[in-house]
Amino acid sequence: MTTTSLRPASRPATTQKRRQASPLRRLRFWARLVTGLLIAVVFLGPVLYVVMISFETPSHFLTHPMTPPSSADLSNFSQAWTQADLARELINTVIYSVVAAGVSTVLALLIAFPLARKLVRGHRALYTLLVIGLFLPLAYIPLFIEARMLNLYNNMPGYIILHIEPGLPLAVVLLYAFILAIPKELDEAAWVDGTGYLTYLFRVIVPLTRPALLIGFLYAMLQVWNDIIGPVVLLAGTSANLFPISRGIFYFYGLNESLYVVFAAAITIASLPLVIIFAGTQRQLIRAAVAGSLKG
Amino acid sequence: MWSGILLALAVYALFGLVPAVANTVVSFTDYALYPGAPVNFTGFSNYTSMLTSERPGFMQALVATVVFVTAVTVAQNIIALAVAHRLVRDTRSNSFLRVLVFLPIVLGVTIVGLVWILIFEPGQGPAASLWGLFGAKSSFFGSDTLAFPLVIGVQVWQNIGFSAFVFLGGLNAISPEIYQAAEIDGVSRWRRLSKITFPLLAPAVTVNVLLAVVGSFTVYNLIYVLTQGQHGTMTLGILSFNAAFTDSNLGYGAALGTVLFVFTLIVALPLMMFLRHRESRLLS
Repeated sequence: MTTTSLRPASRPATTQKRRQASPLRRLRFWARLVTGLLIAVVFLGPVLYVVMISFETPSHFLTHPMTPPSSADLSNFSQAWTQADLARELINTVIYSVVAAGVSTVLALLIAFPLARKLVRGHRALYTLLVIGLFLPLAYIPLFIEARMLNLYNNMPGYIILHIEPGLPLAVVLLYAFILAIPKELDEAAWVDGTGYLTYLFRVIVPLTRPALLIGFLYAMLQVWNDIIGPVVLLAGTSANLFPISRGIFYFYGLNESLYVVFAAAITIASLPLVIIFAGTQRQLIRAAVAGSLKG
Repeated sequence: MWSGILLALAVYALFGLVPAVANTVVSFTDYALYPGAPVNFTGFSNYTSMLTSERPGFMQALVATVVFVTAVTVAQNIIALAVAHRLVRDTRSNSFLRVLVFLPIVLGVTIVGLVWILIFEPGQGPAASLWGLFGAKSSFFGSDTLAFPLVIGVQVWQNIGFSAFVFLGGLNAISPEIYQAAEIDGVSRWRRLSKITFPLLAPAVTVNVLLAVVGSFTVYNLIYVLTQGQHGTMTLGILSFNAAFTDSNLGYGAALGTVLFVFTLIVALPLMMFLRHRESRLLS
């Protein structure tokens, strides 16, 4: 009621203000327009350029790269797809990131719940230990030595296992905070009913902590998906069949200039899933990434 | 219940805690990249040899790291603050622009690096044509003068989104009543910005400065994609990586990594205390 009665009163006021547009006000409008366009060009421009040239024929690119092609030529995409084996690499990437992030999130739940509920002795110390994990540098040199010792080097299960940890501490911290907010009476009621521990965890706690689970999962997934050091260090340069796409697109790196359009097509293919995931989960993904960056 | 806890702890210890600690242990050995080579404890020799001509490049890398961290931190924070200030109002175009600013983070280091390599491709890239208008020519990421500033620029471009969102959070936390009160009192726009907005953003500044400092100190994946540390872009992070995985000297690489970690702490901890002190001074 109050809002509806306020609106008609405030609208004439703003139009009146706009009518007496001073030069300063007009300047401000143009400044906002220009800065807005500048931000759009700076952040979207480079990406759009790569998408544009991925549709150009090599000869078009070599003569006038900056003019948009008159017809969309898809041959770069098919060439990139077959030549660099992108299909296999995309499948590898999905397997690596989804499985590693999934296991990481489940493990985080399995430890965050008993710690938040103080079900184990030393829960405070254990939680602190996990929080420290947010600040640990990712030490690739010892990780490489470990990978070789434990036979995790240069194989698919190994690569997944080595990528579970990076997302774990953040997911634990997020879930811990969420579980604290769930009333304890819920646990007690369920246990009186004789519901098993795991059944309770997955039937009751999982739906209640879904936002935290999603953010933790997305963060962990992004870590694995975009990792370039991992495939360089933990996979042999000759095992192209194990490459994730982040390593695979390097196939065209430094090749003949006429192949840059194919390179651009490969980059476009590699970014498309990320853009789609981003479009679908903007809010959570941004929150995940910002939360993750704070762990720096 | 216990099996779940132990499983999670085992993964965390084995692949998180142990490598972090083991890095220092490895730094006292001559561990080589290739399996089967004998491993000897070599004491502090990996550390003492950094300063000798036996292993050149440490001092240059240290200087490059300091330049890199300073430039990235200053540029990233100033630009992010400007972007956040521009995008703080909740309009439809602003929410679209916010998503755009965040895009490089989602695309990740590899794609971002390769996109900029194509932009600065010396033959056909748009930057080369732009340079050509002024009759200039450069190999950009292959140029000893331009490569380093460009790498700094890409690092900033990639990470503006983080800082901008932290600043946006800070700006949104300032209650609108303060601005209304100031407007009624006839406080000018500029004074409102400098006397209200900026002091109240102190916590966001703390987070962002530390984020940029720690993030840029340790970065090497972006440099690996862009230049592999050539043409004056060899910071300590990429020097450590190259020592280990290109020159196959894991021990020396680990020593450089440890030195980098210690330097990060030496800079970040006093900086954090200073920024916290600044917060309490500005907010009181």
